[in-house]
Amino acid sequence: MLEWLSDNRASIAAVLILAMIGTFVWSIVIGRRQARLTANDEVFGDPVRTKGGWYWAVCGVSTLFLLWSYYSWGVGRAYFPNAANEMCQIAKLEEAVSPIKAALPIGSRYFKSTLLASRNSDQLDDLEAQLEGTVFVDAEKSELLDVIGQVRELIANSSNPNNMGEEPKAELLRLAERLNELSSYVDAGPIGLAPSDEALAQPKWGTTFTEIPILPITERGMLFDTASVEAAEIAAAFNKIRNKFPANDVLIDDIKTRIDALKEINKSGEFDELERADREGYVKAVERIFKRLDDGLIFPAAALEDVGTAIANLDAAASDAQGGLRYADALFFPGPGIVKSRTQCTEQGPARWLPKPTDVVATFARLANPDVESGGGYRGFPLLWWDWLPIADVVAFFIPDWIADVWPGEYASHGPDGTITPNFKDKLLAFAQGDVSLGYIPMLDGHIWDSLFRVLVALGLGIFLGVPLGLFMGVSRFFKSFFDPLIELYRPVPPLAWAPLILTIFGIHDDGKIFLLFMVAFAIMVISARTGASGVLLSKIRASHSLGASDRQIMWNVILPNAMPEILTGTRIAVGVCWGTLVAAEMLAGTTGVGFIENIARTVSDYELIWVTILIMGILGLVFDLIMRWIIKKTIPWRGMG
Amino acid sequence: MKSVIKSAMLAAVGSMGLAAPSFAEEVNVAFFLQWPTPNLVWKTSGAYADAMGVDVNWVDFTTGTAMTEAMLAGDIDISYSQGLAPFVTAIQQGAPLKMIGIAVIYEANDCFVRNELGIDGSNASELEGKTVAVPLNTMADYAFRKYMDHYNIDIATMTVVDQAPPDGAKSLADGAVDMACVFGGVDTASAAEVGTAIMTSQQKQDAGIGSFDVVTVTEKFATENPELVQAFMDATAEANEAWTGSDEQVQIVADASGMGVEATKTTLAGFVIPSVEDQVSNFFNEGGDAAAAAASLGLVFQGDSDGSQIAKTIDGSFLE
Repeated sequence: MLEWLSDNRASIAAVLILAMIGTFVWSIVIGRRQARLTANDEVFGDPVRTKGGWYWAVCGVSTLFLLWSYYSWGVGRAYFPNAANEMCQIAKLEEAVSPIKAALPIGSRYFKSTLLASRNSDQLDDLEAQLEGTVFVDAEKSELLDVIGQVRELIANSSNPNNMGEEPKAELLRLAERLNELSSYVDAGPIGLAPSDEALAQPKWGTTFTEIPILPITERGMLFDTASVEAAEIAAAFNKIRNKFPANDVLIDDIKTRIDALKEINKSGEFDELERADREGYVKAVERIFKRLDDGLIFPAAALEDVGTAIANLDAAASDAQGGLRYADALFFPGPGIVKSRTQCTEQGPARWLPKPTDVVATFARLANPDVESGGGYRGFPLLWWDWLPIADVVAFFIPDWIADVWPGEYASHGPDGTITPNFKDKLLAFAQGDVSLGYIPMLDGHIWDSLFRVLVALGLGIFLGVPLGLFMGVSRFFKSFFDPLIELYRPVPPLAWAPLILTIFGIHDDGKIFLLFMVAFAIMVISARTGASGVLLSKIRASHSLGASDRQIMWNVILPNAMPEILTGTRIAVGVCWGTLVAAEMLAGTTGVGFIENIARTVSDYELIWVTILIMGILGLVFDLIMRWIIKKTIPWRGMG
Repeated sequence: MKSVIKSAMLAAVGSMGLAAPSFAEEVNVAFFLQWPTPNLVWKTSGAYADAMGVDVNWVDFTTGTAMTEAMLAGDIDISYSQGLAPFVTAIQQGAPLKMIGIAVIYEANDCFVRNELGIDGSNASELEGKTVAVPLNTMADYAFRKYMDHYNIDIATMTVVDQAPPDGAKSLADGAVDMACVFGGVDTASAAEVGTAIMTSQQKQDAGIGSFDVVTVTEKFATENPELVQAFMDATAEANEAWTGSDEQVQIVADASGMGVEATKTTLAGFVIPSVEDQVSNFFNEGGDAAAAAASLGLVFQGDSDGSQIAKTIDGSFLE
């Protein structure tokens, strides 16, 4: 079932997207209709104006879903499931001709030859300017000047179309012809081409770790795929062509001998080390430039004209052959399109870092599978499941081992026959360490539960300790003055700043992580409880006092209820911040947890996994918030009413 | 959410002007600080620019993953000495990169066992059931798995804690973990203070456990400017040949990599810079070390690694 869903995720998305568009329109219709029904005399700023409006929530959710689908290419994949594979084949052709394009002013401003000529000429100019200040004697200087002049001549010769040999000329013409033939082949369309069985057997787009399988699965894809093979051959042949001709060959030989002679002088002459280095450096610089020019890489611009036209033709043909795909690409695949590597094609732009909604759900489903043996869970641990927890472990958690140590007597040692008879002290130790069977209780288990547990315990401690302290700080001069500097000093410190200490103080277990979260929750709870307590109307306290209430009664029945709105708002904030700190806390010593998953996913840039963890944290935070809202509604219904 | 939409829109708008000019007036090369490779002498002297005829812009990085990201964004053309681990994970994610050379071979990262436990190679099986700090999905993780494999220890019995090397070293010192696998000079030194390496250099060599850093290049740059890639590799080979290890050179490398001279010497002592011939005959040949290591690394990180796929991204044609 799951497999079927996973394989057909594109079709499912297609239905969902249509449904969401429907919901989007429908919610707006309802919203507008409802707006007409509401009273005209509602005043701006009246809190009543925010009541209700679930249809706008529906509208917001569907907008979010649609935008997400659009930018993650979810819409594109749903309605054009073969588009990515075809774009991949087009990318193959693009890549195949890219060496030829790189030599031409296509996608760049200049011919590669122009750049080579200008760059090396500039460097020759620099060398010539430096020559005066070098250690060479005058005769050598004029010799070097001559060599530099010859290298310049080399550039000039290569750039002259009249000098070009018949062979490279003919070869370029032949390649232009081949490119034109290729254009007409592409123009003719996919006749007699059918995707191979191997290609059709590939997994669908995005269903496995390989994003877009590389073999063509459509006729159009086949056309581009076969064209790219021919284009690659043409490009290889193009790369082999050298602009060589007799005039330059003579020149090259001459320069070579002269440079060698200069090197010989440098080697044999009686120069001190510094002078020799200078001489060798200069000659080497000349030689380097010469070496870049001696293999005939500079072509006259005119010679490349035919190839340039042929490439333009091919581009036009390829563009025509894409047909409707071009519009689909422009409309439904925002971003730079598809990039081909040696092994697969991948999405670029927003689709790279924003996985499709269906993919996120599929990844979540894979992780949520509690059967760790069959590939569920993450790193051998389920996402959220339950397990039998030995009661002995719980007992062991509360009973420290040293109780057994301080019990009078010695631990048993093995007897002469090699057996061990445990005495009471041993048994006590076993009990304290949880090595006994006391039965089992079902307990939640998994990454989410571990994170949840940490947050809940930290939050619980924060409320339990922070609220009383805050209340007392709100009513007592001693508490306020004593704790104020302490709290105010540590409160602004970002939780991450504690991280390096936590590891040393608490080690790698849960207590350190919980403490980090507790620090966050505690400060917020203290501040909110204090603000709540000090904000109680004096008249209420006076009134209860004059009615004979004791201090305890005033605290319990007047101050606490009046501080409740602040405390509950504080709790809401604390929950949010705790989830925010969780990733950092679980980075300290990661073993389990949602933050741990995210940290690992980050090291391999697994964006799907990262989004799954983000969504899990978002949803858990939302659930917490909804619970808090419900509590607020139940416990302080008077809030905002007076 | 607003910002997500906003950046998504920006990305869409940005893509319109994407037909970026691809001519190479300068080559952007990524390198690591704290990683004193001999070719930094040439980097400092500007000899790379002379040899290649274009400006060479060196950009330092702290992680190999960041190098990959920069290469994908088109800001970096060549990564010198990228770790094998980030390269393999990038390939598995479909990044259009390829490996064109081996930058440096060095000893596998060490795993240190707390001295109190008295565990070394001879009684390594006692490690079962122990707690170990490992920076997951790094070369240290890879080395850890190789060691445990060598000693026939089932990792499933151990508690593996994901910790960055500084944290791992600290936890080892605090006794919170029994073994810590770390990398980097400083953290290795501090872990060695309180622990013993599970394998000596000799043992590692005998067991064939080592790591190497690679030279990677984007597919686009390699197809459009093969002559520049070739020139870079030639220059690197020449720079490596020119390395004598003299104090003067070490000083230059130390300055270029932001390290002290002593630390540079220690690190350099553990480096083997393979010659071009060595790379061709041992790493880039049929079934060579490059493909084998990449495939087994892929298996560690992604479970269902296909070695033949990764092998496609290994290209020794720029080695003469």
